[in-house]
Order: sequence, then structure tokens, then C-alpha cells
Amino acid sequence: MDPVNLFDLASKQSQWLSVRQSAVAGNIANANTPGYVATDVEPFEKVLDRSPMRMSATQSGHLGGITQAAYVAKPQEYTGALMPSKNTVVLENELLKAGEIRRSFELNTAIVKAFHAMMISAVKG
Amino acid sequence: MDALTAALKIASSGLNAQSERLRIVSENMANAQSTGTTPEADPYRRKTISFVSELDRASGGALVEVNSIDRDPSAFPVEFQPGNEAADANGYVKMPNVNVLVEMADMNEANRSYQANLQVIKQARDLISMTIDLMRTQG
Amino acid sequence: MIGSIGSLRLTPAAGSDPASELAPGGAASATGFGSPATFAEALSQAATRTVDTLETAEKMSLQALTGGADTRQVVDAVMDAQQALQTTIAIRDKIVSAWLDVSRMQI
Repeated sequence: MDPVNLFDLASKQSQWLSVRQSAVAGNIANANTPGYVATDVEPFEKVLDRSPMRMSATQSGHLGGITQAAYVAKPQEYTGALMPSKNTVVLENELLKAGEIRRSFELNTAIVKAFHAMMISAVKG
Repeated sequence: MDALTAALKIASSGLNAQSERLRIVSENMANAQSTGTTPEADPYRRKTISFVSELDRASGGALVEVNSIDRDPSAFPVEFQPGNEAADANGYVKMPNVNVLVEMADMNEANRSYQANLQVIKQARDLISMTIDLMRTQG
Repeated sequence: MIGSIGSLRLTPAAGSDPASELAPGGAASATGFGSPATFAEALSQAATRTVDTLETAEKMSLQALTGGADTRQVVDAVMDAQQALQTTIAIRDKIVSAWLDVSRMQI
């Protein structure tokens, strides 16, 4: 098995996090839109298992949601009590997700920064 | 358009929508006592606002737009005010169908949504900053 | 594992033995670079990759300045270029100092 390149993986995670951030943004903006169903991306581990270059035919733009290198935000199944407006956005959960995204992103950029600096200093000698 | 810039666009459409909502609420509150000038004239009729989700072609994101601003069709309550110029033969005046408590609750909700959208903008802007910062290490 | 972090590395020919190292290279790999059979070939491939990386970084930066490109892609390309350039500079310095050492040897 090929060793995984750290910078590549960090790049992929950053793309995934960005798509998730825009899904959260769409949910928060549409928190009062009648009939709007909250969207989210698949978990990162699931996305990693699939080849990133293979875009299946069903992932075309008309499905709606941000696409970036095969990360798609799709409408989520809602299991809670349905509001009369049929809107499924729960603002607290969206804000929680935003917090998670921020932490993961900070860790991601910190790791990349650290290893980049290490590479440069190792080579400079 | 990359996803973080799209998030900024989406959140700013949310800010606009909630601003419109607050404007409608303040119109309703300001006119909560606005009766007609004659007994035949109707008083101020409460305004309502509804949103719709728009798919943005450029970014693929779910923007929010104002769908329509309508009038609340519910009946006007009547108050006994015989001295009022709009009083009918029995001294009753039709009052606007605005409930100030309902408007206050709506205003709180609109504020909460506005703050949440603002938070998204701040976060997306910070994430973009962090990404650009990567290049600034000793290299 | 360290080798899998950076984007630039010298890869020896798979399964080559010392006797055949001076012979010309083997089958082409997926990247279009033949598996290097000599040290000189490995160096030249690394240098070519460095130049490609720098060109990619320049292209992405131009896009970012004019039309707007994906921020993370630009940043990644620039960081790759920084790493590749530093590595190539270090290798060049070693080669130059080695050559100078050789040229100072008493015959």
C-alpha cells in the first residue's frame, strides 16, 4: 500500500471542511425558510474510502449543494418532530457543527504549518 | 468559487433576509395603534414576510431570498373608543390586527438568526485567513 | 514515513541491483517518469519535478491574483514550491561543495 502523503490528506480534509462550512451556512441562512431540509456532508472517513477522482453520474450540480472534488452536501434525513413549516434546521446543532469545523480547521492548518516548517529546517541543515 | 467564499455569500444573503424581517416587524410595531380616519376606512393591516431558498448557480449554495411580503388576513379587533374619529355608530373602532407580544417574539427570533448568520461570516473569514497564513511561515 | 510527508523525493529504481545501475532506465511509471536507474537520472528527474512544482505555484498564484482561484490550492502549491526549492538548493549546495573538494585534491 502506498504511504499516504500528509499534505495531501490535510488538503483533502480542508476541502471537506470547507464544503461542510458552506452546508452549515446554507442551513443557518435558511433556518426560517418553509420546506427547507437541512444539508450536510458525508463523514470524512467514508469519503476517504472512495477514490477522489471518480465522480459518479449522480453527483452532478443539479442535486444542489456545494461540490468540490466530489464532496457534496446532501439533504439529511430528519428524525425529530417536524415543524408545521416543514423546516428541519435546528439552529443549536448548526452552531455546534460550526464550532467543530473551526477546531478541525485550526488543527489542520497547525499541523500543516508545523510539518512545513520542519521540512524546511531539516533541508536547510 | 471555492466553498468558503460561497459560505460568505450564503451568510450575507441570510443577513439581508433577517434585516428585511426586522424591518417588517418594526413597521408592524410602529403602526400597532394606527386606525383609519373615518368609520368606513380599515386600520393598518399587519404585514407578514416569507422566505424562499434559491440555488446559486455560481457557488452551488443555498441562498435565502425574500419570497413575498403579504398582509395578515385575520380580522381586525374592535375597541370601544366613542371619541375616536373612526368610531362607528356604537362607538367601536377597528384596531390593527397587530399583537405587540407576537411582534416582540418575532423580533427576538430575527435577532437570533441575524447573530447566527453573522457568526458564520466571521468564522468563514477567519478560516480563509488561517489558510493564507500557512504561507507566511519561515520558508 | 518521513518520506511520505514531502512532495519531493529521490526514488531509486525498484529491484535494481548495483551491477545494472549504470544501464539506462526501465519501464515508465504512471507519472510519466521512467524509473531512474542512475543517480544522475534521479537528480535530473528531481530537478524537473522542482521546476514543474514552481511553475504550478506560479500559475496558481497568477490565477489567484487575477480571477480568483481556490485559496487552499494556491497555498498548497506555494508551500510545495517552497519545500521543493529548499530541497533543490540544499542538493545543489552539496554538489557544488563536493566538486570544490574534488578540485582541491592533490594529484
